[in-house]
Amino acid sequence: MSSPDQSQQKNPTKVDCLDMLRLILDGEASPEEKKNFFEKHLDTCMPCYRTYHLEMAIRDLLKSKCGNHEAPAELIDNIKKMISSGR
Amino acid sequence: MEEMTKQRYSDGERTSIFDNEFMPHINSMYNFAYRLTLDEDDAKDLLQDTYLKAYRFIDSFQQGTNAKAWLFRILKNSFINDYRKKSKEPSKVDYQEVESYYNSEDVDRQITPDLRVETLQDMIGDEISNALNALDVDFRTVIILCDLEGFKYDEMAKILDIPIGTVRSRLHRARNLLKEKLSEYAKKMGYKNA
Repeated sequence: MSSPDQSQQKNPTKVDCLDMLRLILDGEASPEEKKNFFEKHLDTCMPCYRTYHLEMAIRDLLKSKCGNHEAPAELIDNIKKMISSGR
Repeated sequence: MEEMTKQRYSDGERTSIFDNEFMPHINSMYNFAYRLTLDEDDAKDLLQDTYLKAYRFIDSFQQGTNAKAWLFRILKNSFINDYRKKSKEPSKVDYQEVESYYNSEDVDRQITPDLRVETLQDMIGDEISNALNALDVDFRTVIILCDLEGFKYDEMAKILDIPIGTVRSRLHRARNLLKEKLSEYAKKMGYKNA
């Protein structure tokens, strides 16, 4: 696996850890990167620690409040009927 | 010699794919439709149109590939082509501005230092829903795809027809905008700069 931004190393430590935090939040970090982040980095980097927990709290809210629109049963029946009549 | 693009499924195969691979995603799809249109009737129409299209074009679906991403892409395209025109969606986001924002040093500043986990835990009403709905539809979409549906960058890139780099920057910007909105609500709720 190649790391995407090897060419541009401006402000190494700061940018790198915020980039890593983004990959973790986006579900794109490797297991090894996650292990390193959670076991080593998070304890020592206050901005990452705060941002991570804040983002997780937002995600919990999103999941509990914004992911619960279930398709009405009538609509599901209707779709099934339309499909089977077109078969 | 492989036929890469299309196959011809038998009636039995079509039924099986539709019932076993498409229908299990119907609630996620409805939720997505609702979050795009912000209207229950439009969401129902959009969902129905999408499933009928999915059936009509089922030969373009390759078994073993990601049915959920395939369906989400159809829904997103239907929304853009058939619904977005109708609605009074405000002007499109200036992505030039978004990209330059992402590449600027501003990215690393703490935008909402006053938003705290405890404050969020007190938001038991519709604050988060209103904050999400207040975002431009393109930003709303990436939050839904990533945080609610768990799609990866490459899947989102295919669903949205944009490069992976744009998925990343749009997600990043979307998260910051959502935090700004939530911060506004927190202030209204009476939390002083904590």
